Amino acid sequence: MRPCGVFDKSYALDIAIIRTWQHWTILILSLLFLYLFPLFGSYYLISFINLLSISAMVVLGLQIVSGLCGQISFGQAAFMAVGAYTSSILTIHYGLSFWLALPLSGIVAGCVGIIGGAPSLRIKGMYLAMATIAIHFVVIWLILHTEITGSFKGLYPQPPSIGGFEFDTDERMYYIIMSVLIIMTYAARNLMRSKVGRAFVAIRDNDLAAEVMGVNLYYYKLLAFFISCFYAGVAGSLWAHLITVVNVEQFTLLHALEYVGMLIIGGMGSIPGVFFGVLFIRVLNELVMFASPALAKALPWLGSSPAASLGLLAFGLAMALFLIFEPRGLAHRWEIFKASYRLYPFAH
Amino acid sequence: MTEFIQQTITGLMTGSLYSLVAAGIVLVYKSTHVVSLAHGQLVAFGALFFWLFLSGLGLPFWAGLIPAFILTALLGLAIERIALRPLIGQPLIAAFLMTFAIFIALEGIFVLYLKGETRTLPHFLPEGNFVLGNISVPINQLIGFCVALLLFAAVSLLFRYTKLGLGMRATAEDHRLAQSTGIVVKNIFSYIWILSGIVAAVAGIATANVMDIYYMLPYIGINGLIVAICGGLDSLTGALLVGLLLGVVENVGAAYLDPLVGGGIKDVAGYVVLLLVLLIRPYGLFGLVKIERI
Repeated sequence: MRPCGVFDKSYALDIAIIRTWQHWTILILSLLFLYLFPLFGSYYLISFINLLSISAMVVLGLQIVSGLCGQISFGQAAFMAVGAYTSSILTIHYGLSFWLALPLSGIVAGCVGIIGGAPSLRIKGMYLAMATIAIHFVVIWLILHTEITGSFKGLYPQPPSIGGFEFDTDERMYYIIMSVLIIMTYAARNLMRSKVGRAFVAIRDNDLAAEVMGVNLYYYKLLAFFISCFYAGVAGSLWAHLITVVNVEQFTLLHALEYVGMLIIGGMGSIPGVFFGVLFIRVLNELVMFASPALAKALPWLGSSPAASLGLLAFGLAMALFLIFEPRGLAHRWEIFKASYRLYPFAH
Repeated sequence: MTEFIQQTITGLMTGSLYSLVAAGIVLVYKSTHVVSLAHGQLVAFGALFFWLFLSGLGLPFWAGLIPAFILTALLGLAIERIALRPLIGQPLIAAFLMTFAIFIALEGIFVLYLKGETRTLPHFLPEGNFVLGNISVPINQLIGFCVALLLFAAVSLLFRYTKLGLGMRATAEDHRLAQSTGIVVKNIFSYIWILSGIVAAVAGIATANVMDIYYMLPYIGINGLIVAICGGLDSLTGALLVGLLLGVVENVGAAYLDPLVGGGIKDVAGYVVLLLVLLIRPYGLFGLVKIERI
């Protein structure tokens, strides 16, 4: 659905992601805003956006494997852990620079993801989801039982630096995280309409039919897992150097479930949906955190610190409501809204 | 050799708990084709309700048992009515994701109630060990084992010989066909969730008998899910045998392999077994193999 009077006069226009000068203005203004934000944003907001961006990267990866390729994965937290640990080990034990460790951790996580995605060649749907839960626990177990990962104590990676400049505060890390997120969002958006993306969608809609049409199932399913885990690995690496503490407590099954929840609330198969979902869940969490001390005071039977459990309750309820009332997620609502303002004075 | 037998028997006792948890999941899957991740919460709430009546209200054993069953069955019914019924007609994966949303929401309530503490059931079963030669088994675990076997027998008989069981089997075969023969499929769904709630309560009480009620208790549902999937989701026999097998593998593996790798085999054995079974026999050891058509 595009605005009235916009025509594709050449092939270049037809394949352009950004079509009109209004889009370009919005894009450039919002990029300027994002990069200038640390100059006037508060510290709290900046750390919050860092957290949002890292979650968004993980969920972008999940969108590719689950939303596009249809292979539900509950292993995203474990793959993020692989990225975080790889990056920490490379910088601490081998003295590699962060700038090399960042892509390497993505690649290592991707390769682990290929092993993790191997069951998808034989099983699908709910069975695959269970297999990825099993892979999650196996990965976390391996991390806990090897020497180099520091076992229960975890690792303490250094913040990245370039020249003599240390990216040691949230404001400074913001620039790295935001740049990586923008590149990865662009890559994901572009992937959707490439040959690979179409093959993924064909597999999602009906894998047998896709195979009959000549889509190599093995290759594309494993590729989907590789790309998705690459995203998780890069996000994990950034997370490790932002927080500068890595331990298995940060990568539990609940985290993995949270990413799937963000995907569902945002909308499967849509890139903007990823951002809606992440924003929705994180803001909901912040609201619960904010409201829970007052709630605890008003209702003493809740106990002294109900934030964590109330957060779980709110998250579970939000997901259930979305599954019942809007299974296509916030992205679908956004599409409806866009269509209605473009047609504004008319109904259809 | 004595140690091996001892470990195997201890494993069988743990395994019977897994089988009990898996039984509820298999029941739900058999007729509704929904794989319930929320079952672990039903188990945990069953144990919690029983604790409430036994320790909180000070009721005797039998008087506490019945209301605990009723409340857990009602919880199961509520899940079916409120959350899963609106999803009839949607893809099955939506229902699976819904059960996981329910898992998280109930987990919130469970943790909220426990407040980070643990609850221990009072000893309601006879104490002491059953000793045979060099092998000793705690009597309360032995009773739990027998209860598991009896429950499996009862559920199998219900499926085989009652009119309700016939309806459930017909529903499992094909929803539309069952409906056309006059079976009210929606009611069958409700009955099956009530039954699954009662089975979950039994599993919860049997589990709380050997371990404390704390925030990790609902995660036994994941072990149950492993067992149910390895056994083939629609096979009660599979759930029973694989559950016992998993208990034995965990225990024997922990006893012999832990010194080699530095501990923790118990935490991961189930998942490795699951991955192996899924790779070799995707529909489980006793499951019905489905042939797909475009």
